[in-house]
Amino acid sequence: MVKKTDIDISVDFAGLRLANPVFTASGTCGYADEMGDYMDVNALGGFITKSITLRPRKGNPTPRIVETDAGMLNAIGLANMGLDRFIEEKLPIIAKMSVPVFVNVAGELIEEYVAVVERLAREDAITGFELNISCPNVAKGGISFGRDPRQVSEITSAVRKAAGDRVLIVKLSPNVTDIGIIASAAAEAGADALSLVNTFTAMVIDIETRRPALANRTGGLSGPAIKPIAVYLVNRVYNDVARAAGIPILGLGGIRTAADAIEFIIAGASAVAVGTASFIQPDCASRIVDGIREYCVRHNVAKLSDLVGSLSPK
Amino acid sequence: MVNGKSKGIFTATVLSNRRIGECFYTMDLEFAGAGARAFAEFRPGQFLQVDVSTLALPPEDKIPPELRDICRRNVLLRRPFSFADVAIRGENTIAELLYCALGPASVRMTTLAAGDPLNVIGPLGNGFHVPKDKHTALLIVGGMGAPPIRCLARLLRAERPDMKIVAFVGAKSAAAIPFEGNFAHVSQQVDFFIPAFAKLGIPSVVATDDGSAGYRGFITGRLALWLNEQAALPLERTILCACGPEPMLSAVARIAAERNIDCQVSMERRMACGIGVCQSCAVECRIEGSTETIYKLCCQDGPVFDSRTVVFDARTEAVEEMGLAQAIKEGQASPAVDKARVLEALEHGEEDRH
Repeated sequence: MVKKTDIDISVDFAGLRLANPVFTASGTCGYADEMGDYMDVNALGGFITKSITLRPRKGNPTPRIVETDAGMLNAIGLANMGLDRFIEEKLPIIAKMSVPVFVNVAGELIEEYVAVVERLAREDAITGFELNISCPNVAKGGISFGRDPRQVSEITSAVRKAAGDRVLIVKLSPNVTDIGIIASAAAEAGADALSLVNTFTAMVIDIETRRPALANRTGGLSGPAIKPIAVYLVNRVYNDVARAAGIPILGLGGIRTAADAIEFIIAGASAVAVGTASFIQPDCASRIVDGIREYCVRHNVAKLSDLVGSLSPK
Repeated sequence: MVNGKSKGIFTATVLSNRRIGECFYTMDLEFAGAGARAFAEFRPGQFLQVDVSTLALPPEDKIPPELRDICRRNVLLRRPFSFADVAIRGENTIAELLYCALGPASVRMTTLAAGDPLNVIGPLGNGFHVPKDKHTALLIVGGMGAPPIRCLARLLRAERPDMKIVAFVGAKSAAAIPFEGNFAHVSQQVDFFIPAFAKLGIPSVVATDDGSAGYRGFITGRLALWLNEQAALPLERTILCACGPEPMLSAVARIAAERNIDCQVSMERRMACGIGVCQSCAVECRIEGSTETIYKLCCQDGPVFDSRTVVFDARTEAVEEMGLAQAIKEGQASPAVDKARVLEALEHGEEDRH
C-alpha cells in the first residue's frame, strides 16, 4: 500500500515535468490575479490564460451566457484587453508565478496569431501557448481555422516557428466530422500537445419570445453535459493519433471532480483542465489535485503517469 | 462606489427562512470567523454568489403549479443576491437575504431550514456611495430591486441622521410589493406606508402597474411628478439611488439627466462566476469625451454604476419611455401601452428563469 506522501502525481507533458496534471481551462480563471482570493494557482500543474488577441476585442453583446440543464452556453466573443495591455498589466503578475503559464492565443488571421506568439515567446515568464482555433463564437477566425485540416496544418506550422523553444498546445474543436483528421494535421505540423475539447456549438430558444437566449444566437456548450462526449473524443484521439505521434493530450470538458479528471486520464489524457466548474467553485482545480492523490492511495497507484491511457482493452 | 477589502468562499449558517408574501421569502444567515469579518464590511449594493447546486427541490405539492415544469431543470451556476440588511452580533455577522421563489434556484432555496449550511462567495462588486455633500437621497425600488435599497436606507439613516430620504417603490400589484405589510389600500401620496422604511423614519411612495396600491403606473412616472412638485429641492445636493428592472433604471437615469441630478443605478446581468473571470456580465458604458463605448463588467466594475456612464438597452428603454410618456400625459391613468412588451421587459426577477 502506497502512502499519500509517496505518491508521484507529477506528469511529463511535452518535455515539461509538471508537479501535477491539473490545469485551468482558458477563459475560466482570467489571468490568475483574479483567483488570488480563492485558490493558490501555484499549486496547480499549469495555468492557461484567457484568450489574447493582437488588438483588444470588445466581445459580443449580452446576454452572453445561458444556463442549461447540466451546463451552460457562452458566447463571450473573445473579449480581451489585447497584447499590449496584457504585456503591461498582466505579464508582471505572471512573472511572479511559479506555475507554468500558457497563453491562449486567438485571432482572425494567421499573421495575428504569429505576431502575438512571436512577441510573447521572448518572455521568460511564458512557458508556452495554447492555439485557439476552435472558438465557435466569433464571425472570423476561431473555429474556421479548426475545421479544415489544411488550415490547421498551415496555422500550426506558422505558429510553431514563431513559438521558438516554447511549448505549443493546439486546442481542437469537437464541432467537426472527424476529429482524428484534425488532430493528425496539428500533430504533423508540429504541435507539442493537443487539448480537447473546446465547447460544442449549441442553441437555447426562449419560447415566449421565439428568440435565441443569447445575443449571438448560438453559443458553446460546456459543463457536465459534455463530459462523456469529451472523454470519448480524448480516447479516440489518444488511440488513433496521439499515442503513435508521441504527443500528450490535455483533456477537458465538464470536469468538476477528481473522479472526472481520472476518467480523462484513463482515457488517454496526460493532463486535464478545469473550466466551467471554476465558475461555481473557484478553488475547484486545486481540490481536484488533492482528490487525485486520494484516488491513487485507494487504488495503490504509485505513479500517476502509469494511469495515462490505461483503459482496459476489453 | 465603494467595496470592502476581504472576500472569499464562506459557509454561512441559516438562522431562519420564512415566507413573507406572495412569493417572497426572508432568510437570515449567520457568518462566523473570517466570513463574519468579510461580511461586516458589506456595503449596500454589493452582492454574493450563492451555491444552490446541492439543494433538492421541495415536494411537488409545495411547488406552485406554474413553476413545476421550470423547476425540473437542474441548477449548476451560483445565483447572485444582494443583502437587504447586515448586522453585527458579538463576533458574528447576521445578514438578511430577501428573495422571490420564481425559478429552479430560488424554489430550491425555500427548503433551507435553521441550522443548514449555505456556501457563498462574497462580498463582491461595488456598492452605492452617497457623497458627503448630499442632503437628500431618493431611493427607487422596482420589484425585486428591493434588497440593496433597503440595506442602503438603514445605512444612510445610521450614518447620516439628518439626511432627507424618500423611498419610491414600484411593483406589478399590491401583492407583489416585496416588503412585509398590507398595501391594498395605500394611497398615491407620500406617507409611512412601508414598515421596513417607516421604522427608519423614511416615508415612501408606492406605484403599481395595475393600480391595486398607490399610483397606477410606473414608479418612474410618480417620481417625475414628485420631482416636478419640489420647487425648493436643491438638486445639486440630491442623489437618486435605484435598483430594479433595466427599463426602470433607464427611465430613472433619464429623469436624473434632465434635471442634472446625480444618480446611481444597480445593474443586473446574467453571471456565471461573479468574480470577473467569465466576462458574461458585460454592461455597455460610455467613454468620456468619445462616441465609442466599452463593455464593463457588472460583477467587478458594478453592479452600481453612475447612471451617466451606462448605455441602456435600446429596446427596454423604448418600453419604459412609452409607459412613462403615457403616464405623465394622463396623470394617474394606467399606461395604455403594448402590454405584452412591457410585461416581457418588466419581468421582475427574470434572472432566475435563465
